[in-house]
Amino acid sequence: MTEPVLLGRGLVKRFGTAVALDGVDLAAGRAEAVAIMGPSGSGKSTLLHCLAGIMKPDAGEVHLLGQRIDTLGERRRSALRRGRFGFVFQFGQLLPELPAVENVALPLMLSGTSRREAVQAAGSWFGPLGLDGLEHRRPGELSGGQAQRVAIARALVPRPAVVFADEPTGALDQSTGHDTMRLLVEATKHNGASLVVVTHDPSVAAWCDRVTEVRDGRVLQRAA
Amino acid sequence: MRTAVELSWRLLRGGGRRSMVGSLLTLAAVAVSTGLLLFAVGANHAFLQRAHADAWRHPGDSVANPTAIEALSTDYVQGEPVTIIDLAALNGDAPVPPGMSRFPEPGEVWTSPALAHLMKDLPADQLAKRFPSPSGTLGRDALVHPGELVAVIGRTAGDPATTARRDVVEHLGATGGPSRIDRFETDASWSADVYLLLAGLASVLMVVPLLVFGGAAARLTVARRDSRLAALRLVGATPGQVVAITTAEAVLTAAAGALAGLVLYAASVPLLTHITIAGGGWFAGDLWPGPPLLAGVLAAVPLLVGASAVIGLRRVVVSPLGVARRETPPGMRAVRILALAAVVIAFGVAGGGLIDMGRAGMIVLMVFLVLAFLAINFAGPWVVALIGRLTAATARRPARLLAGRRLVDDPRSAWRTVAGVALTGFVAGFLALLNAGPSSGGPPDELRVAVPYERSAAVAGQAEKRLAGIDANVSVKRTETRDDPLDADGPVTTTGVVTVTAPGGTAAVDRARTALTGLVPGKVVTTGADEDVTGDRLLADLRTGALTVLVVSFLIAITSAGITSASAVLDRRQAYAMLRLAGTPLSVLDRARRQETLIPLVVMGGGSLLTGLFFGLPFAQGFGFSGLIGLAAFVVLGFGGILGAGALSRPLLRSVTADPAPRPD
Repeated sequence: MTEPVLLGRGLVKRFGTAVALDGVDLAAGRAEAVAIMGPSGSGKSTLLHCLAGIMKPDAGEVHLLGQRIDTLGERRRSALRRGRFGFVFQFGQLLPELPAVENVALPLMLSGTSRREAVQAAGSWFGPLGLDGLEHRRPGELSGGQAQRVAIARALVPRPAVVFADEPTGALDQSTGHDTMRLLVEATKHNGASLVVVTHDPSVAAWCDRVTEVRDGRVLQRAA
Repeated sequence: MRTAVELSWRLLRGGGRRSMVGSLLTLAAVAVSTGLLLFAVGANHAFLQRAHADAWRHPGDSVANPTAIEALSTDYVQGEPVTIIDLAALNGDAPVPPGMSRFPEPGEVWTSPALAHLMKDLPADQLAKRFPSPSGTLGRDALVHPGELVAVIGRTAGDPATTARRDVVEHLGATGGPSRIDRFETDASWSADVYLLLAGLASVLMVVPLLVFGGAAARLTVARRDSRLAALRLVGATPGQVVAITTAEAVLTAAAGALAGLVLYAASVPLLTHITIAGGGWFAGDLWPGPPLLAGVLAAVPLLVGASAVIGLRRVVVSPLGVARRETPPGMRAVRILALAAVVIAFGVAGGGLIDMGRAGMIVLMVFLVLAFLAINFAGPWVVALIGRLTAATARRPARLLAGRRLVDDPRSAWRTVAGVALTGFVAGFLALLNAGPSSGGPPDELRVAVPYERSAAVAGQAEKRLAGIDANVSVKRTETRDDPLDADGPVTTTGVVTVTAPGGTAAVDRARTALTGLVPGKVVTTGADEDVTGDRLLADLRTGALTVLVVSFLIAITSAGITSASAVLDRRQAYAMLRLAGTPLSVLDRARRQETLIPLVVMGGGSLLTGLFFGLPFAQGFGFSGLIGLAAFVVLGFGGILGAGALSRPLLRSVTADPAPRPD
């Protein structure tokens, strides 16, 4: 593995007396796809939230491109999530009022890019992701697979360092899920970003370069 | 049906915290709607009660077998009118006046509590000496409002005060008779009719947005439930069952809301009694509609909400899958604006002739106003959608883009929030600049009474005698007026206007008035300002009425903004949470929500206010800006309230976006 883009070391997170993470280490290199697998309640989503700066770990460190980020305040972590990270969730992430292209342009506009440039940049993602002609459809008029591809475009449009995906195919049928994962991995790598995927589905994890299995808040094993 | 009610009750109780928030929002919306609806109904009832209390003072036409003589005149003290009713019995069957236990004996005077109070407060030579010693106090049935100054004076049939004809200024409701009557009038006088008409108009202005808003509240319940109901439908519930379950739930919530609204209204009545119309506040009892009306409102609200829920459910029942997917709403049709144009054109064609049609013209005018109101309400969402499209097209920042898109997405919801303000704004703006002009009738210390010219010297002489010891000058002016102003060759009446100048302010004028009481039987000496009181009062009342309706509209807008923004947060909680996780600042989401209300409010509400001001400008006399300051205060408070109501859901937004792992329900 090259110099890690994202590095979590000795991460501990407790909710009351329940220990969600108990000293987890995880690293993702440039253009590397890492899967975090585990059953419900194993702590895999908590791990993603800690790595992405959504939650602060109780102990341990998170570094992005060599800079420690878990000690930053909420405002700076928000800015980091906006500019350096991309997110793909299971569903419900697109704003129903906005047409697809504006949903994709939104992160750029939030970072201060002019609307014209943001929409132009957003539009350039539609062709490569097989979304040609769907720019002005609203989320309700897209199929589940199409909506996830729009979400992938939105995650990638700010040219993030890391894309986090939480059960990205959970709401899709197997064939559509397969296509979506292929596009997610290819587009992320093509963009030079790292990909961290949380899933309980081995067929999804199979698309990644490495799999980290989490059970009861600890890393069990690493498979190639 | 029993199953439906039971299931609804379970759904209501077991729906979880967010579902409960939705139900509470509906309940609050229905409570406010009911409270304001009761206000609209109560205000009409109160005006009707006033009309009843006022009717008996206006003598009707003389009858063949009279039992009494009645005459009405209006005196003034401290610039306030004092209603004086002269009564004389012709036989033992004279009717007992309202608010009195018996017909007054000659020489007696019965006064309203407020007049009795003032008679004690002021030096006797300013007021009390105008009347014999009071023999009784008038009950509330005789009074239009609690602070009214009224005196009923008992006379003999031959007393000059009961035989002298009053000046014909009955259209102002200040004088009348004497008439030989056998009963007191019960029909509303002309002036009371005007107020009833205006109250009716104000009610229409308030009730239509209220019903629309109440309906929206009902649909809010449906919106909370639609996905679950679609699921019920998918597992085989019949359309009838789906409708019954949701309607029962909406009706249950609305019934609780209606009761809460009743409590809200009851708590507000003491404050409402202070609104001054026609020179005084209100009897609390008058503001309570009778039990049948009250029961009618309390029954109608849940039924209307239920009906609205049924309409809102149509989509779920027709297309179980339709509600689960957010599709582009069909565009608003331009026919909405055409309907408004049709009403405006029709009014342009027919409006001019309405003035000559008398009372029928007034009714047609009312119909036109109602139609215009409905047409504006119909066109409003179309205009909001247009504003939304323009906002979205020109937006450079994400918050404005989001706001614009949301306006396009649900223009009806945004219109509901601003409708009342937009509809009332014009009237309030128009009236704000109208001021009572300077008195047209001469200086405020100049009292006058007109008599036939040949009697004027004698009257002036008597006046001088009565005014002995008071600093006052008496003079006579000769005026000629044509009996028919349009007939240049017609007969001319020569009048002598006996003019008394009493320098030294109100007290001096009132001393002179008191000294001159009964100088000319049936006539009262008045200043120019006295003659303007009724007109000025009507103008002030129109302004008070418009501002009251504007306040109600703002209250509807405030509640609507609070509920709309809270329900929008609940509806979009997943998207908000995801955006927040992805690093979107809470302030951007908040700004978008704020602009969603503010843009249509400023454009439509502010636009209609400014248009009203513009139309009122030519009539603004002397640019007395007091009305404008009042209006500005209401607008600032209203806008602030609306923004505040929207901000109330910020903690809700924070709570839904604080969840790091958002899941559907």
